[in-house]
Amino acid sequence: MELVAASKMKRAQQTALAGRHYAVLLAEILASIAPRVENVSHPLLKKRPVKTRGILLITTDKGLCGPLNSNLFRVITEIEGEAKFVSIGRKGTQFLSRSGRDLLADFSIDDQVTFREVRLVAEFMIEQYLAGNIDTLEVVFPRFVNTLVQESATVSLLPIPDLKTMIESLRSHSKPEENERPATNDDREMLFDPDAPSLLKALLPLYLNREIYQFALNSKASEHSARMVAMKAANDNASNLLDDLTLEYNKARQAAITQEILELASAGSST
Amino acid sequence: MPLHLEIVTPEDRVYDNTIDSVVLPAATGEMGILPGHIPVVAQLEAGELQVTTNGKTELLVVGRGFARVEGDAVSVLAESAINEEQIDEKAVEEAIARAEKALTEAGDSDPAEVERLEGLLRFTAAQLIVKRRKR
Repeated sequence: MELVAASKMKRAQQTALAGRHYAVLLAEILASIAPRVENVSHPLLKKRPVKTRGILLITTDKGLCGPLNSNLFRVITEIEGEAKFVSIGRKGTQFLSRSGRDLLADFSIDDQVTFREVRLVAEFMIEQYLAGNIDTLEVVFPRFVNTLVQESATVSLLPIPDLKTMIESLRSHSKPEENERPATNDDREMLFDPDAPSLLKALLPLYLNREIYQFALNSKASEHSARMVAMKAANDNASNLLDDLTLEYNKARQAAITQEILELASAGSST
Repeated sequence: MPLHLEIVTPEDRVYDNTIDSVVLPAATGEMGILPGHIPVVAQLEAGELQVTTNGKTELLVVGRGFARVEGDAVSVLAESAINEEQIDEKAVEEAIARAEKALTEAGDSDPAEVERLEGLLRFTAAQLIVKRRKR
C-alpha cells in the first residue's frame, strides 16, 4: 500500500503541475479584460452581509491516511454560527451527517480528478450562492506542503474580493518566472467578442471552477502522501514487532532445549 | 510573420506550434486569424479549429472556452481539445449515445447535470462532424 500510494501521489503532483499553464493563461485573459470592466457589477463580486457561511469540505473517500481527515474535522468543529456544508469525499459526508450538520449536497470525485467532475461542484455552489442559500464560499481542504507535511487550509472564494486578487491567486499556483512572458508590444486597441462584461460573466465561474479543481488536486496529493507516510509507519511498526516476537520465540525455544538437555544429563548421571 | 498557436486545457498544454493561420469557433461565428490580427479576446463554442501550416490544414476539436490574440500569439483556453486524427468514430458514437440516454433520464431534475451532459454532447458531436467531413 505504501508503494501504491507513492505512485498515486506522484501522478497527482504531476497533474497539478500540468494544470499550471491553464491558470497562467486564465490570469492573462482576466488581466487583459480587467481595465474594461472595473465598474461592472456582478453578483459574484458583490459583498453582502453574511448570515450563512457556505463551506465546501474536501476529504478522502478511504481511511488509513493518518490524521488527515480528523485535522479537517477539527477545523469544521471550530466553525461557529450558522453554516451550510457541501462535501467532496465519503469521510467528510459521514462526519457531517453524523454530527448533524446542515449538509446541502455531497459529491464524489475520482482518484484521477477531471475538470468536468469539479465543474459540477462549482456550478452547484454558484447556484446556491446566487439563490441566497449561502452568503460565502469557503473551501476547507488538506493543503499539500510536502510529502511529510499537510496542513488544513481554509480558503475563501466567494464573494470574489476584486479582479486583482483573482489574478494574483491564479498566478500564485505557478512559479514567478513562468509569468514573465516576453511582453508583446502590441498597443492596438483590444477587441472583445462578445463585449467585455459578458466575457467577465463567463470567466468568473471558470475561475471558481479552476480554483476548486486546483484544491481537489491538491487534496488528492495530500491524501496519497499522508497514506504513504502512514503505511510506511505501519510497515515499520509491524517489522519491529515481528523482530521482537522472533527474539522472544527463539529465547523460549533455547530455554526449552537447555531444560531438556539438563534433564537428560541429570537422568544419565543418576543411573 | 508566422503565428504562434497554443491550446491549453486544465489537464495539459495540448498544442504548441508555429502556424500560418487559424479559424476559431467563436461564439458569434467563425473567426479567421491571420498574422497581424488586431488583439482580441473571444468566447469560443464547442466546435472545430482549423489550423493551416504550409498549405496543409489540420483540424482540431475544442470544447467551450476562450481565445486571446495578442501580437502574433494565439492562445486558446479550452475545457477539452482533441486532434482530428485521434478521434475514434466508434467510441464517439457510443459516447454520444450514452450522453443522450443520460440526458433523457436526467430530465429537468438537475439543471447542473443537464448542462454538463449537454456540454459533453456538443463536444462529442463536433468531433463526429469533423471526422465525417474529412472523408
